[in-house]
Amino acid sequence: MSKFRSVKDIPDDEYVAPGSSLCAGCGSEIIARHMLKVLGKDTIFVNVPGCYAISTLFPFTAVKVPFVFAVFGSGAAVAQGIKDGLDILKEKRGINNERVNYKVVVYVGDGAAYDIGFQSTSAAIHRNLDFYFVCYDNEAYGNTGFQLSGATPYASRTSTSEPLGGSVGNVYRKKDIFEIWRAHRAPYIATISVSHITDMLNKFEKAKQFKGPKLFVALSICPTGWGASEEETVRIARLAVETGMWPLKEAVYGEVKHTFIPRRLKPVEEYLKTQRRFRHLFHPVRREEDIKKIQEEVESYWKRVWETELSK
Amino acid sequence: MYRFRFHGRGGQGIKTASRIFGTAAFLEGFYAQDFPMYGPERRGAPVAAYVRVSREPIVNRGYITHPDVVLVGDETLLFDPVADPLRGFSGGVLFVNTMTSPQIDISGELVTLDVTGLALEYIGRTSAISAGVGAIACKIAGFSKGTTMEAVERELEELGLSEELIDKNLRLAEESYRNVPSFDLDSLPSVRESDYIDTNVVHVKLDEGYVGVATIAKLGNTAVRRTGSWRILKPVVDLNKCTGCKICFAYCPDVSIYLGEDDKAYIDYDHCKGCLICSSVCPFKAITMVREVKTL
Amino acid sequence: MKSRKGMMLTGNATAAWGARVCDVDYIAAYPITPQSEIVELLSKWVTSGEMKAKFVEYESEHSMLAGAGAASLAGARAFTATSSQGLAYAFENLFAVSGWRAPMVMVNVSRGIGMPMTLQVDNTDVFSARDTGWIQLHAETCQEILDFIILAYRLGEDRRVLLPVIVNMDGFFLSFTREPVYIPSMEEVSEFLPPYEPPHGIAFSSEELAYAPTIILGHSYSYFKYQMHLSALKAKEVFYEIAREFGDLFGRYYGPIEKYMMDDADYAIVSMNSFTSIIKGAVHRLREEGYKVGVLKINMFRPFPNEEVAEALKGVKGVAVFDLNLSPGAGGIIYPELLRALYHVDERPKVVLDFVGGLGGKELTYGEIRFMVRKVAEALRDGGVSPYATLLFTEEDTRKMIADMEIAGKKWGGFR
Ligand SMILES: Cc1ncc(C[n+]2csc(CCOP(=O)(O)OP(=O)(O)O)c2C)c(N)n1
Ligand code: SF4
Ligand code: SF4
Ligand code: SF4
Ligand SMILES: [Mg+2]
Repeated sequence: MSKFRSVKDIPDDEYVAPGSSLCAGCGSEIIARHMLKVLGKDTIFVNVPGCYAISTLFPFTAVKVPFVFAVFGSGAAVAQGIKDGLDILKEKRGINNERVNYKVVVYVGDGAAYDIGFQSTSAAIHRNLDFYFVCYDNEAYGNTGFQLSGATPYASRTSTSEPLGGSVGNVYRKKDIFEIWRAHRAPYIATISVSHITDMLNKFEKAKQFKGPKLFVALSICPTGWGASEEETVRIARLAVETGMWPLKEAVYGEVKHTFIPRRLKPVEEYLKTQRRFRHLFHPVRREEDIKKIQEEVESYWKRVWETELSK
Repeated sequence: MYRFRFHGRGGQGIKTASRIFGTAAFLEGFYAQDFPMYGPERRGAPVAAYVRVSREPIVNRGYITHPDVVLVGDETLLFDPVADPLRGFSGGVLFVNTMTSPQIDISGELVTLDVTGLALEYIGRTSAISAGVGAIACKIAGFSKGTTMEAVERELEELGLSEELIDKNLRLAEESYRNVPSFDLDSLPSVRESDYIDTNVVHVKLDEGYVGVATIAKLGNTAVRRTGSWRILKPVVDLNKCTGCKICFAYCPDVSIYLGEDDKAYIDYDHCKGCLICSSVCPFKAITMVREVKTL
Repeated sequence: MKSRKGMMLTGNATAAWGARVCDVDYIAAYPITPQSEIVELLSKWVTSGEMKAKFVEYESEHSMLAGAGAASLAGARAFTATSSQGLAYAFENLFAVSGWRAPMVMVNVSRGIGMPMTLQVDNTDVFSARDTGWIQLHAETCQEILDFIILAYRLGEDRRVLLPVIVNMDGFFLSFTREPVYIPSMEEVSEFLPPYEPPHGIAFSSEELAYAPTIILGHSYSYFKYQMHLSALKAKEVFYEIAREFGDLFGRYYGPIEKYMMDDADYAIVSMNSFTSIIKGAVHRLREEGYKVGVLKINMFRPFPNEEVAEALKGVKGVAVFDLNLSPGAGGIIYPELLRALYHVDERPKVVLDFVGGLGGKELTYGEIRFMVRKVAEALRDGGVSPYATLLFTEEDTRKMIADMEIAGKKWGGFR
């Protein structure tokens, strides 16, 4: 039975303060806010360079739990050190104040999760570190001006994959970080979206029961980089789910289950059209082949899901 | 040398405005130097840009602490402690983008124009003020309309704007240029020979313990920052329609909605950045948006 | 004075013992020659239960240092060791750890950084970490490795300092060399080294904190950076305090520098690390040959002991700096540091010359050492001092190089 059945059940406690300088309408703030509502005050928040670092610019911080800033690729390694350090204080030195029992969450962007911090994250999972790793995926290096990352989807414009001279924008496919993590056999892995708040809350809650790495990748709408209107953040995220572009799922010790299975997929272009980063797929001429390619990939994914999970 | 300082909010094109002015100065035959100051802050946060214009080669760079001309792209910044656009301004010309006629006690000339309104009219977006503000700076400096328009065109082409959009911007620039006066900058009392300011250097000592360790002890203290001034549009809850369903509360990225004792949604206008997500998610259409009437 | 237990130990084993007697809580590891033996030993002790600590092998030095520093920030006494490529790979995190003000200790087993790849000593690795905010202690002997590790924890953890410390030893020349080492017991060490409870540590701070926020404005950045500098400078003063206490307890006294036969010296050779022993040995013969030479060894490279160096060289006529490192385009790295210490002193030596030698573990011969002193004597007599370093490279080295070049199929007939 899920603990959170509707937004009415959202805990009142807030561990993020207003007044930070992130863009209006930024998805990463919505995710951080709800993540901490579930994880609670006894959490150490590890962050690295990326947009969310703007939450904590001296002398201000929006984060109301202990915050440790690490270098770009070292989020998971720092979590390891903190967790191990607190454990040994307990076990060896008999220190048992409340802080030594705090959880550790690493909250980083896709650049850190998919690319530069991938090695340290993989290793922390491999060592079965008891921590939360949450990637707010805005599908590019947002903080440095929206350059292409390993998480950038096919055809997206970024500032290093401009659709110039007939180019389609990003020519690479987005890395499937969920499957890469799953190959590590982590106890709990989930995808989440800012549009589906109760799904998100329940997944954070469910993760608490597992000892070991608990990994999340969140679709994090970035109005600035994506070229979308700020008020559309939630609608875009919902379209990503309803077109099948962003499946909501979880894997418990590798066993995958979708937490939302659309019976019929909305056409991907409904999603693509909400963002200027895909505008060149429709203007000045419609790039039918590329749109079809995206649509087909989504469909073949869901065909497999429908066959396996709906027949159960 | 004339020192121009531009203030605005991230996303308003203040850097472009300063570059338009820099390029125009260059085209007018001046030595020029333009320099934007952007931190990691995002759309809506205060930004500044600096332009030096001189008939002699410029042997200085960086921030301008004592400007001769200040251009404020967003009137709510005028008394913002972070942006502090009047810092070091002691006579000269102050331009404010506003639809009202602000009463500001300054020594110097005050020029105002509703560039936001013009941007909405000519381009359809309230934030597209760069061509207007750039052209206003040119006019204040007494640059010709020809170089001004050429500079606007060059800078916008560089940004990769479509021809159609450049045309619209040129019209905005022209209209802005037309509606502000020109000044003989040399006659302004503020125009001094250099930026060099006298300061006293103190002896820095070791702070023992961990005072000198870079940490913050007051967690959540961003709450003292009033990001409410970022808003261009303002969400307003119709309490008669609000059912207290909490959906807006769930999606607000900036923790700026709370449910009152009457179980209705209330907005914390000190912090709400005006993203309008709340308005778009309310199933009962209880949140409408109105153009922010900025009061100084 | 406490009872002492002597043992024949390699530099690496000594470093492991250093961590052990300091009752280190956390060991972060990653293999690299010539350092691996240190963490192998620690791993064994932890697994067998002889040592109570947590040992974690990371997937890279970059993560290893981040993890060790984070454990130290959490409140655990942390240790790690690396060398050359590993130090370079971890570089970014050197700044992170010192910026967190996490007083962990890292042993660097000095080795050249490729390319060209080498396993042998070249102190350029550890000197490249000069500007990172870490205190640096450099050991000449195995005993010094042990003692410096104990001193390092006490020094770094002092609330006036709160900075991490590198203890350097030379690869091979110390790491694999055995000599007698006296190891105090853990109880004895604990009398000198109180439990680690950092005032800003995650587990200990009175308030919950945000660590290392990004700093946008120059005034705050300047303040915090300069505080780090002032703390590093303070470390020298603290070192005198604790080294005296250490000496009274263990019978071995250290300072930021060591003077060897300097009392009546006309000439001094300035050196660091293990090759200093070779130079000290040569000094006796040089004196027989009529050169009144002494040796000035620098133990503490950060903070740099400016006053001590200037004082030690007062009255000395000429100085040869032996630099077992090379900054291409500048020369030796100790040389300019020394000149900074000397420039402001009236009675400074007239001649200071720079020599680069021992690179890649190349033998340092008596002839080379005498060459340095002769050059200094000549410069004193004839003038013609140059700011450029001279490479100590012998005829024998040239012959070997000719042979190698021939085998490598490269046409080279020696220097013309
Ligand atoms: C080693 C290193 N390389 C590059 C950078 C510059 N950098 C800072 S943030 C950033 C982008 C972060 O992207 P992502 O992780 O996706 O987070 P986002 O900004 O999108 O939130 C980059 C490239 C850095 N800080 N460190
Ligand atoms: S650039 Fe994108 S991810 Fe970064 S703060 Fe703005 S909206 Fe958020
Ligand atoms: S979403 Fe609409 S109805 Fe629901 S609480 Fe908010 S304003 Fe009221
Ligand atoms: S507009 Fe609505 S959702 Fe956006 S910050 Fe303001 S209250 Fe929150
Ligand atoms: Mg990103």
